[in-house]
Amino acid sequence: MSARARLACALGWLVLLLAVGAWLSQTLSFSGDLRRFLPDPRTPEQTLLIDELGEGPGSRLLLVALHGADAQALAAQSQAMAATLAGDARFGFVANGADGGLDAIPERLRPYRYLLSPTLDAQALDADFLRAEIDQRVQDLGSPAGELIEPLLPSDPTLETLRLAEAWLPARAPQTLHEVWFDRAGGQALLLLETRAAGFDPDGQREAVEAIHAAYAAARGEGSGTIELSGPGAFADEIGTRTAREASWIGAIDSIGLVLLLLIAYRSWKIPLLGALPLASAGLAGMAALVLLFGDRVHGITIAFGFTLIGVVQDYPIHFFSQQRAGLSPWRGVRALWPTLATGVAATCIAYLTFLFSGVDGLRQLAVFTIVAMATAALCTRFVLPGLIDPAQRDVATSLRLQALWRRIERLPRPRWSLLVIALLALAVIAWRPGAFWQNDLAKLTPVPAPLLERDAQLRDELGAPDVRYVLTVQAGDAQAALQASERLRPTLDAMVEAGALDAYDMAARYLPSMETQRARQQALPSAGVLRDALDAALVDSPFRGDAFEDFLADVATARAASPLQPGDLDGTPLASTVEGLLVGGEGRATALVSLSGLHDVDAVARMAAANGARLLDMKAASESLVADYRARILGALALAALLLVATVWIALRSPRRALRVLLPMALTTLLVLALLRAIGVELTLFHLISLILAAGLGLDYALFFEHAGDSREDQLRTLHAVIVCSLMTLLVFSLLALSSIPVLRAIGSTVALGVLFNFVLSLLVSRAPGGQGAGEAMQAVLAPGSASIRSQDGAARTDAGRPESAA
Amino acid sequence: MLKAPLRLSGEYRRPDATTLVREVRVPYSETTTIRDGHAILARAGKPERRFALSRAPELAALQTSFGALLSGDAAALRAHYTVDAQGTDARWSLRLRPRDAKLAQRLQDIVLYGGGEELRCIETTPAKGPAQRTLMAEAAQAALRAGDGADVAALCRGEHAAG
Repeated sequence: MSARARLACALGWLVLLLAVGAWLSQTLSFSGDLRRFLPDPRTPEQTLLIDELGEGPGSRLLLVALHGADAQALAAQSQAMAATLAGDARFGFVANGADGGLDAIPERLRPYRYLLSPTLDAQALDADFLRAEIDQRVQDLGSPAGELIEPLLPSDPTLETLRLAEAWLPARAPQTLHEVWFDRAGGQALLLLETRAAGFDPDGQREAVEAIHAAYAAARGEGSGTIELSGPGAFADEIGTRTAREASWIGAIDSIGLVLLLLIAYRSWKIPLLGALPLASAGLAGMAALVLLFGDRVHGITIAFGFTLIGVVQDYPIHFFSQQRAGLSPWRGVRALWPTLATGVAATCIAYLTFLFSGVDGLRQLAVFTIVAMATAALCTRFVLPGLIDPAQRDVATSLRLQALWRRIERLPRPRWSLLVIALLALAVIAWRPGAFWQNDLAKLTPVPAPLLERDAQLRDELGAPDVRYVLTVQAGDAQAALQASERLRPTLDAMVEAGALDAYDMAARYLPSMETQRARQQALPSAGVLRDALDAALVDSPFRGDAFEDFLADVATARAASPLQPGDLDGTPLASTVEGLLVGGEGRATALVSLSGLHDVDAVARMAAANGARLLDMKAASESLVADYRARILGALALAALLLVATVWIALRSPRRALRVLLPMALTTLLVLALLRAIGVELTLFHLISLILAAGLGLDYALFFEHAGDSREDQLRTLHAVIVCSLMTLLVFSLLALSSIPVLRAIGSTVALGVLFNFVLSLLVSRAPGGQGAGEAMQAVLAPGSASIRSQDGAARTDAGRPESAA
Repeated sequence: MLKAPLRLSGEYRRPDATTLVREVRVPYSETTTIRDGHAILARAGKPERRFALSRAPELAALQTSFGALLSGDAAALRAHYTVDAQGTDARWSLRLRPRDAKLAQRLQDIVLYGGGEELRCIETTPAKGPAQRTLMAEAAQAALRAGDGADVAALCRGEHAAG
């Protein structure tokens, strides 16, 4: 094949990859659902947490703060935004404190007030009660707020509507200035929105965030001020935008750096193109496999972690390029390389197989992606690349600078006991450094920077959100049974509030009593005739006219005949999402949640719950146990993976000494990176684990190739060249990642960069052929049977195949 | 819905610079104490109720207008209202229009009528509905003397005093 034909083939391959990429971008839809990346829940706490994470109202809340203008302008902006967004189908509700809660009860539900309010449980709707109430109304009309009350009176002389609205107010609502919510300092107008899209539906959340920004822009007009959004959806959007922005500059510098590096290393403009093809093919093949096996359940994190992990495949073509030299056919070169390369790939793939049995969907996907991608890259390097590369004109082993470097490396002492000392020191740091070893906080699994989380907590506090850690649960067979059971808790809970064990509580039954309770209240309502007589008696000598309350008689008649309200009847009202959030469940089970504010005596509440058939759930403990469970599974898989990896390397190398030389650097590197992270007080997360796995994979390859180079000077030089190029590339990519503003990317970047450094140095020191035996072993290698061919050039003997005994 | 306009009599007090007390004595007894951003409402035979002024803008307006007036704080008054004075020393009126756009949606204006050193009457006109008048001092005495037949509007504007 001519050089022109080879180039055409390479470009053809590139075009094919672009086409596959275009198809995949059409087909592949990522799921942002974090639950896919968590293990199946095993306790009721974990189940609740998992439900809450994805679809729960907590995850769909967006918190908005407006500031940067005077209070009145902010209030006007808040009102205008609320008016725009309340009509937007993407939002379940929009609350900004306006209407003082009276609008929580839509017109069509107002007659139900007598079924929803507890007033009449202890009080009959008789003449005495009505007279007392009507006397109060006279005073209300005489108060400065008289005009406000007046329109309510004809249908509601007992002001039951206001009583309900007051009862439904959150225990600790934000302050109201200019009729909308403000923070305590009065500098920020606050709004609370609930999206219809789930918290981890990135597209739905982005749309919601954009709608909010558009409404704000319209509300602010030419005025001044800024808007701040918080909540899971806003974070997802923020992270997406930030990642895209940083990825574009990191990607640009990476690309330029990698191309320059390859140009300098190989002095051929075609090498960067050829070098990129296996990695690109690997990524696309991995994604195609995911689409075929998992359909639309592919998780965004799989792709992100996956591409991190397959960074190792970029090394495969480099090893091949560095072994190229004049007079050697590329096919022979790659055959010589293959046993080592295949050993590395096989060992790593077998290790990743363990993730298939981890019981976590996301990890299974990660395993499929990584295995397919690594195999693809290896096969591309072995079977396609040699056909496309121009025969080399030079041999990197002839580089004087490289030779000088190697001579200096050879003079380095070969560490033995010092390694043991270093390992013991590292172990000591890992074991005895004070502070938590693992980061169990589920929130830390999200890539949200800490200042944003703090701001979120602050806004939640201002908006009077309940305790996020503890919640009481009452389980029952269906929603009505759960409502009833939670209603029965109320006297005890009220007593606990009285005793100071907690400040306040909230439950669905506070808004929507069980049907049983509503029916009991219906029966207590007087008939039309009885009520009219009572009202007439109450109005004798009253300043009110005799026919002032006809609407009231009609409302009570409606309430008496209505069928009790059920959760579904609340759809479209501000109450719906509140009740939905506190009454969760599905087929054959329902859970009533009792949220608690200002919990002072956890033990007392827990005892009360246990004595009354309820449970006090500790969501923090649940989330931590979930993370711990998850980590246990990964660590289990990793332990098995490590065993399989050792076995594979041992079998491939057929010698425990050689296997030890290859495995030692990567084991030691893992220890050292762990010790360093511990020493600077980093609590380990999943992201560190993934990074350590990648670093170990890289180290395995470095060591395998150094070990494979044996003591042939030229092979050692070529391997040194390849490993220098590989580690520089990886260092460049991951050091840039370490500069990211996103904590997770920083964690991955710094861990891998450290790993590459340690692995490079340790493989060089440990894995290169033992010195001192010199020419004897070299001759042995040269004379060994197999694929070795001997040629003479510059008076030096060399082998093409390096150590033939390693050929599988 | 009432048979006749409601007529109350009682007393406004300002025990200290930050407190305003509105006490109704006839036809019922009710005391509203406004202090530190809170209002405490006490009615005969009922437990006291306490609520934040941020939840009751009408009471807040009462505090800023009436309170400022009683304490002679013209600056505070001008901060919340545009002030428009008319008449002579012997028979003057001060028209207060709320600056706050939200309050203006509910409250058209407050007009204070007086003569010399004496405040006779506060006439509060909501955006919708009839004006509410608070007669003070001499005007209030005159209304009490006149009984149910009193022309409150005329007494408020000081038309009887003039005539």
